[in-house]
Amino acid sequence: MGDLLIGTRKGLFLLRDGDVRGPLLTGWAVFHAVNVGETIYAATNSFFFGATVQRSDDGGETWERAESLGLPEETGLTLAQVWHIEPAGDGQLLLGAEPGVLFSSEDGGATWQVNEALLSHPTRERWQPGAGGLCCHSIQLAPNGTLYIAISAAGAFRSEDGGESFVPINKDVAADFLEETYPEVGQCVHKLLLHPARPERLWQQNHCGVYRSDDRGDNWERLDKNGLPSGFGFGLALDPASPDAAWVIPEEGAENRVVAGGRMGAWHTTDGGASWSLEADGLPEPAWTGVLREGASFDADGAYFGTQSGSVFARRHDGDRWNEVARQLPPILSVEAWR
Amino acid sequence: MALVLLPRQLENEAGGRRRFDVEAETLRGALEALPVADLLFDERGTLRPLVHVFVDGADARDELESPLAPAATVRIVAAIAGG
Repeated sequence: MGDLLIGTRKGLFLLRDGDVRGPLLTGWAVFHAVNVGETIYAATNSFFFGATVQRSDDGGETWERAESLGLPEETGLTLAQVWHIEPAGDGQLLLGAEPGVLFSSEDGGATWQVNEALLSHPTRERWQPGAGGLCCHSIQLAPNGTLYIAISAAGAFRSEDGGESFVPINKDVAADFLEETYPEVGQCVHKLLLHPARPERLWQQNHCGVYRSDDRGDNWERLDKNGLPSGFGFGLALDPASPDAAWVIPEEGAENRVVAGGRMGAWHTTDGGASWSLEADGLPEPAWTGVLREGASFDADGAYFGTQSGSVFARRHDGDRWNEVARQLPPILSVEAWR
Repeated sequence: MALVLLPRQLENEAGGRRRFDVEAETLRGALEALPVADLLFDERGTLRPLVHVFVDGADARDELESPLAPAATVRIVAAIAGG
C-alpha cells in the first residue's frame, strides 16, 4: 500500500514504508498536506498564530513558512484558516482557504496571490459559512486545465479560463437548510473529486446527499437514496482504474456527526452509485467517531481514511478488508496519499 | 536594546530561538522586527486575539504604539486556551 501524509490537530505524521513518523509541525493543526516529489507542503492553522503554509524539502526535518499570505485591505476580509493545497503543475500551487478564497503560488509556496475572480464573485453575498467556516476545501484540475473548486457553503464552481472566471455548477444539488432548496449557489459541498481517468465525471459528498455528474458538473444525480444509511458525510475516495467505483463514510446526520449505525462503515459502489454495499471487514464496531472532509484519500493501490479517534484504515482496491495502518494519533484532520 | 522573549510554541518558527535583542522606538516596532511577526499580527496589523504581550511584567496588549524603553523586557504569551 502507498505512503500517506496524515494531518492531525497536533501536527503532521508520515506513514512511509509501513512506519509512522511524527509528529512534525508540532503546535500546528495540519488541515491538509501534500507532496510534490520529495517536497512536502502543509496547510497549517493555529488557535493562537493564525493560518499559514509550510514547506519542507528534507522529508519534514525542517520547515519554511510562507512569506506572505493574506487578503487585500480593500476587501474588508482577513484570512481565517487554510484548508487544502493542490499542486497545479509547472511549479504552481493552489490553496483553498477561509473565507471562501483561492490563492496561487508560482514560487513554491513562498508567496501567494489571491484569485480575484473568486474573491469578487457576484454570488459571494449569498454564501454562508458552514460549521468549518466559509472554507474553500476542494480543488480539482482536469487534464485540459478546467479547474473545479468547492466551498462550504457556497457550492461548486468551474473555471475554464485558468481561474479568470468561475461558473456555479450546482444544478439539482439540494440545500435543504435554505428556504430555496435548489438555489444557484449556497450548497454545502463537503468534498468534491474529479475522476482522474474520466475527468468529465465528478463525485460529490454534500451536506445533503451524495452526487455524481457525468458532464463536468452541468447536471448532478443524487445517489444516496440507493442504499446508503445516510446522505450526510464527509469522506470520499475513488478508484483511478474504475470510474464507477467510489467510497463514502456516511454519518448519522448534521445534528449528530458520528458514523452511521454506531459502527465504522465504509460504503462502496462499483456501479456509479446505483447501489451501495457496506464493506466493513476490519473496521471497528461499535464506533462513534467520524471522518472529516479531508480525511479520505486514494491512489492506484487503494483507498484510505483517518478518523477523529486517531486511526488510519487502508484497503486495497482489489482487497476484501480494511487494515488499521496507524492508531492512537491525535484527531485526524486529513489523509493524503503520497503522490 | 529591548529584550523580546517568545513562547515555546514559536521557537521553531523563529529559527530555534526564543530571545531577541531588538532596537525599536515602539512596542509594535519591536514585535514587527521579529521573524514571527506574521504569526503575531494578521494582514491588517492587528495583534491576534490570543496573543498577549507584557512589557516589564505589565500587560501591554493595548499599548502597541507606546514608546519602548531600551532596557525593557517584552514577553509574548499565548493565551491560556486550546484543546
